[in-house]
Amino acid sequence: MELNLLIGGEAGQGLASFENTLVDILSKLRFRFFATKNYMSRVRGGHNYHMFRISENPVHALSGDGWDIVVALDRESEQRHKPDLKKGGLFISLGMTEELNKQAREKYGRITAANEILSGLVLSAMGCGDGDIARIEGDSLDPVRTGFSLANKWDVADRYPLSTRAGDHYRLDGNQALAIGALLGGCQFMAGYPMTPSTSIMVYFAAAALELTVHFEQAEDEIAALNMALGASYAGLRSMVATSGGGFALMQEAVSLSGMTETPVVIIVGQRPGPSTGLPTRTEQADLNFVLHAGHGEFPRIVFAPGSPAEAVLLARKSFELADRFQIPVFILSDQYFADSQQIIEEPLDTGIIAREYNVYGSDYRRYAITENGVSPVTYPGLGDALVRVDSDEHDESGSITEDLNLRVRMVDKRLAKFRGIRDEAIAPTPMGEADADVFLVCWGSNGPIVKEAVERLGGEGIRVGGLHFGQVFPLTPGMIDRYGLQRRKVVAVENNATAQFAGLLKRELDITVSGRILKYDGTCFTVNELCNEMRTYFRKV
Amino acid sequence: MVWVGNREIAWCPGCGNFPIRTALESVLKELPVPPQKIVLTSGIGQAAKMPHYLDTNFFNGLHGRALPLAVGIKIARPDLTVIAVSGDGCNYGEGGNHFIHTIRKNLDLTILTHDNKVYALTKGQSAPTTDRGTMNNLDPQGNENRPFNPLAAAIVMGAPFVARGSAGDPDHLKEVLKEAILFKGTAVVDIFQPCVTFNHINTYQWYKDRVYRLGKPLPDRYEALKTAEIWGERIPIGVIFRDEGVMPRQSDRIIFREPPEDKALGTMLSQQHFK
Repeated sequence: MELNLLIGGEAGQGLASFENTLVDILSKLRFRFFATKNYMSRVRGGHNYHMFRISENPVHALSGDGWDIVVALDRESEQRHKPDLKKGGLFISLGMTEELNKQAREKYGRITAANEILSGLVLSAMGCGDGDIARIEGDSLDPVRTGFSLANKWDVADRYPLSTRAGDHYRLDGNQALAIGALLGGCQFMAGYPMTPSTSIMVYFAAAALELTVHFEQAEDEIAALNMALGASYAGLRSMVATSGGGFALMQEAVSLSGMTETPVVIIVGQRPGPSTGLPTRTEQADLNFVLHAGHGEFPRIVFAPGSPAEAVLLARKSFELADRFQIPVFILSDQYFADSQQIIEEPLDTGIIAREYNVYGSDYRRYAITENGVSPVTYPGLGDALVRVDSDEHDESGSITEDLNLRVRMVDKRLAKFRGIRDEAIAPTPMGEADADVFLVCWGSNGPIVKEAVERLGGEGIRVGGLHFGQVFPLTPGMIDRYGLQRRKVVAVENNATAQFAGLLKRELDITVSGRILKYDGTCFTVNELCNEMRTYFRKV
Repeated sequence: MVWVGNREIAWCPGCGNFPIRTALESVLKELPVPPQKIVLTSGIGQAAKMPHYLDTNFFNGLHGRALPLAVGIKIARPDLTVIAVSGDGCNYGEGGNHFIHTIRKNLDLTILTHDNKVYALTKGQSAPTTDRGTMNNLDPQGNENRPFNPLAAAIVMGAPFVARGSAGDPDHLKEVLKEAILFKGTAVVDIFQPCVTFNHINTYQWYKDRVYRLGKPLPDRYEALKTAEIWGERIPIGVIFRDEGVMPRQSDRIIFREPPEDKALGTMLSQQHFK
């Protein structure tokens, strides 16, 4: 049993605060849920909508099966979303929400009580009664009860009874997961220029700086942001930046600087539809090729693309360890859908902070000493007698500018030698569905949980499909996929872009031919239902 | 080839960078901190090669980006003495936005700009400080833009220490540099640097005929601004403005080698943890 809810209205009507109120109550009562939103690039007006899937089973995607409840705070919501109401579903019209607002004002003297009343209505629909809401405290409790009576009045009480709840869990949106992963990775410095959809990572980090020994610096532009992060990293702090495609475009020269100076840094790119300003508040996965090729010249890098908040915590944490170990830039590709989706994590999180070594060297220290694995001993200014001299020009082992062309070749080889160690560390993709199926769906980043549920649903219909989700998209190594024998199977790529960028990467790096492509680039995420329909069509064709 | 000690130096013989280097080297030696605690940042250009010719830590970064590097380093490590040193093209042109915003932050760091009024490494084009009418290969009919006044801009932005030195008066330059580096807050120093190859107007002699040393710095911003605007037959050098009343933005909090405690992070995470 599950309950799918949509609430739509204008920006500024309180949709986001309703989401916060509802998910807070759901979390306190330990319900399993997934919540995401579709919003316009404006402060007031327009049409935004927030979507909730509350279920007895773990849920990490939108089902796309229609809405059980649609709440309209404006006329447009009625026109756009009422047609997607399931048969027998409840439509809460503009008139009804006005009644709800009236009660909030008259009974509680504050319009925000409407969020709690509506949450109460949803809880009642889920089968909650007075006994279930003991964990809700303070001023919210009575409005929630008012919601119960409204549910009775509108005949929705107990219609979607959810008996199973989660145990010990975390509730995170994608950006919180990335920020927490960064903190666990020992990140102590972040610089940034606000840009949707990555701003909330900065907000989280700035809040963390009030409690923890970390610093957030708002930069004048993204160019400064990454240069500040590299300065802080050079000086001895694990450092990061977060941005979106346009801001990342400004960072590219400094990406190359990180590569040349071998200064570790973690760069989060929250993708949104381009080119240029594109659709600033919607989702896309079209910056994979951009990130793979960002920065002039040749230098090693790693690119991660987590699919779930749990994986985001894990990979963000890991990013700092690897950036440090190989002295390289590590990228995390997120997107608006991932950033703005809240859900619960039931798997345990490793909450230990990764420690760092501060080695001390003498006056003969050479920052770029040539080694077998390409990694030179690192230290920071002011520790011992060493001088730390780093240069964006080609340099000798001591960091001094050089135009010795033989040395140039040795330095290129040194930097690229790190790829061997990086490849040994590659994180294998997560398998799903039937391991011996003829058809395999491949996906990366935020599509992971959507594809997983679609594969399982198709399996339930007797359609045998396997799947792989790549949390690491670069480098790709044969060892990551050997066991799946993809050469013998029909591989279908599922991506939120128009040109199947990951399919191209699979061909280039692993010589895997993708025969089918399910692509979406209208600025919204896939739903499970949509993906299943695409696959059913695919199977009819093959 | 020009050598200083065992280093081959990439500057032209007679370059104004040499006296600046000598002055900076002797100031660094006189500072009450060891070279391991000093970091120079620089961008790209001939001036930006300065750190290579001094015995201290450095991060020679990208064109225009000496300042955000310095900001990152100083925030990470308040215990280090941080000096950004680059040319006029780097600090005022490519990095002009950083010049404005780094001054706004008022961290305890020093911004040195070698001002030769020409883009020398790219062979002679107009710089932000090039006079109107100057002809070169990209301005064959003469530069039409008004020159950037770095000192006036710095004063208007609220820099608490604004000065000008000249490679042609190295003893005075040394005093200015030392005062700037020891100043607690953002210190901006524009340094006249004759370019013996591409600037045949603003030569050592040209400066010698015009430059005069200021007495005490002016405590009033508006008076200082008037002084910063003086240009022509007489050009002032020295500390134009010095405001002791402004505290630098500096956290006492040392976070280097002080990672967050698992427990503190755990407390933060508990807001998202439901049992």
